[in-house]
Amino acid sequence: MLAPEDQPARPSSVAASDAAFFEGRLAERETLSGGYVRLVFAYAEGPDLRAVAPGRFVMVRGPWEEDPTGPRAFSILDAPASDRLEILLKVYGRGTRRLAAMPVGAPVTMTAPLGRGFDPTTADGPRRLLVAGGVGLPPLHLLARRAAAAGLSARIEFFYGGRNADDLVLVEPLCEAGIGVVLATEDGSRGVPGRVTVPLADRLARAARAGEAVEVCACGPEGMLRAVRSLALETGVPTQLCLEANMACGFGACLGCAVPVYGPRPYRYCCTDGPVFDAREVRW
Amino acid sequence: MVTAAGPLDPSSVDLSMDFAGLSLPHPVMVASGCFAYGEPYARFFDLRALAGIATKGISPAPRAGNPVPRIWETAAGMLNSIGLENVGAEVFLREKLPFLADLGVSVWVNFFGEDFDAYVACARALDRGKDRIDVLEMNVSCPNIQKGGIEFGMVPEVAHDLVRACVAVTDIPIVVKLSPNAQDNVAIADAVRSAGAVGVSLINTVTGMAIDVRTRRPRLATTYGGLSGPAIKPIALRIVHQVHRALPDLPICGMGGIRTGEDALEFVLAGARCIQIGTANFAEPTVALRVLDELRRLCAELGIARLADVVGDVRPWPAEPAWKEARV
Repeated sequence: MLAPEDQPARPSSVAASDAAFFEGRLAERETLSGGYVRLVFAYAEGPDLRAVAPGRFVMVRGPWEEDPTGPRAFSILDAPASDRLEILLKVYGRGTRRLAAMPVGAPVTMTAPLGRGFDPTTADGPRRLLVAGGVGLPPLHLLARRAAAAGLSARIEFFYGGRNADDLVLVEPLCEAGIGVVLATEDGSRGVPGRVTVPLADRLARAARAGEAVEVCACGPEGMLRAVRSLALETGVPTQLCLEANMACGFGACLGCAVPVYGPRPYRYCCTDGPVFDAREVRW
Repeated sequence: MVTAAGPLDPSSVDLSMDFAGLSLPHPVMVASGCFAYGEPYARFFDLRALAGIATKGISPAPRAGNPVPRIWETAAGMLNSIGLENVGAEVFLREKLPFLADLGVSVWVNFFGEDFDAYVACARALDRGKDRIDVLEMNVSCPNIQKGGIEFGMVPEVAHDLVRACVAVTDIPIVVKLSPNAQDNVAIADAVRSAGAVGVSLINTVTGMAIDVRTRRPRLATTYGGLSGPAIKPIALRIVHQVHRALPDLPICGMGGIRTGEDALEFVLAGARCIQIGTANFAEPTVALRVLDELRRLCAELGIARLADVVGDVRPWPAEPAWKEARV
């Protein structure tokens, strides 16, 4: 429980001012295991996202008329060129099903980059333990590859959990980048059996015994994030959670994506204050 | 059956509208609750292209809003239960109004109160911004707050008394935004007109619900919410048409699921003098520009030289000849 005066000091709620609304098309679709699909969108006029902070996101809407009404929010997986962005999608409902079924070349509209992402990894900061669950992979995948590209792969440890082996995707690029990856599956079909928070708890205990400074960056299903948050509060390890919420606009207009927080105000917004939040701040 | 001669040059089409003495360059506005206080959209387009902006609903004191989840997408629409979260009248006047006023567009400040006195207090407080506010859009129809709100828009006598009390404390013209959930919209519209409202906004969201069958919980924390988007457009058109037919001199601002120029023209033909785009702004922040462009082109194509001439100009079907059993 966090007293109001302990609310982490953060800038007041401001919408990202660099967002643009632009048209593009589906340039590439790669079907991965476990129902995951990697989509690459290309655009002629839009923001150069090559340096986008991991955790920032894009709203994507297909060539639909009235239905589905709104776009869907996706964490940016990568921006391989100044005119391209990639997302990782898993079919959950009507919108994601339609997006996953789009033919290559289909027109889309996008709003990006939105939200506030993770801070960059530094050479002298605490060692970063990245925790990804299921479709929460993209921001941490990008964060890890960024760190590796900066020669900081040794500052990163990657914990990645899923229901089964098929649920774990895009692991090879992480290994190739020299990042230590701990895999966990609930059915034990790959990596450590059980939830990803089990090896994470062991790692945090080890860090505590050794007096090692670590911090946690996590993104995944709410159940996993709640468990990570509990660990953070028990161990006192600085922890950032990348959240998701139902979102109509993504840029601070609809106020639909409220996140319950401790502090002077009961809610902040996933889209403009987040999606990355201090675990202590989240009122779960 | 369009009577005017063939296609026109789109640039020659006159889209200007008079709304209760307010001269609008064209009818395309944006709706309350869907455009915040304007700022989040300023990075997407020049807001001066709009005829007007209806702000997020303002209450006398700030409100934190409802528990989460607050929104859920449904077929061709969305449910919301934001809970009328807003910065309150004081902060609005001090921090939000200057930005809107500087745009030079028509500024419609949507407002409400949790009870009778709060409505009047809010109208009185906002009156201090009268030099920079064109219209107070009075929300008597939001389905989200438990006490107040919805009842005021449901009973003509209650709506009348409330509007009269607010009109008495402000020089700013009041337009009342009515609920589609009322039984007799014409009676409510007539009641607020006779109480001094200069016009009505039709419609607010339609009360609705969605359920997650796996958790057996409602999709919204408040169980019910307001349905918006293309799903409600036929309801909105019907109510605009009913009110316009009964009260042809009462200016109507039409809204509900508008996302194309054709949608906008439908509302004008049903009787609206201006329109507001709501939910579509979320998916397409520049949608108002497209609607305006499409409306202009559509008018040109249909030979409508002056949009104001076709307000309410929907034509009834001719009666069929009387039926008689054939005799051979």
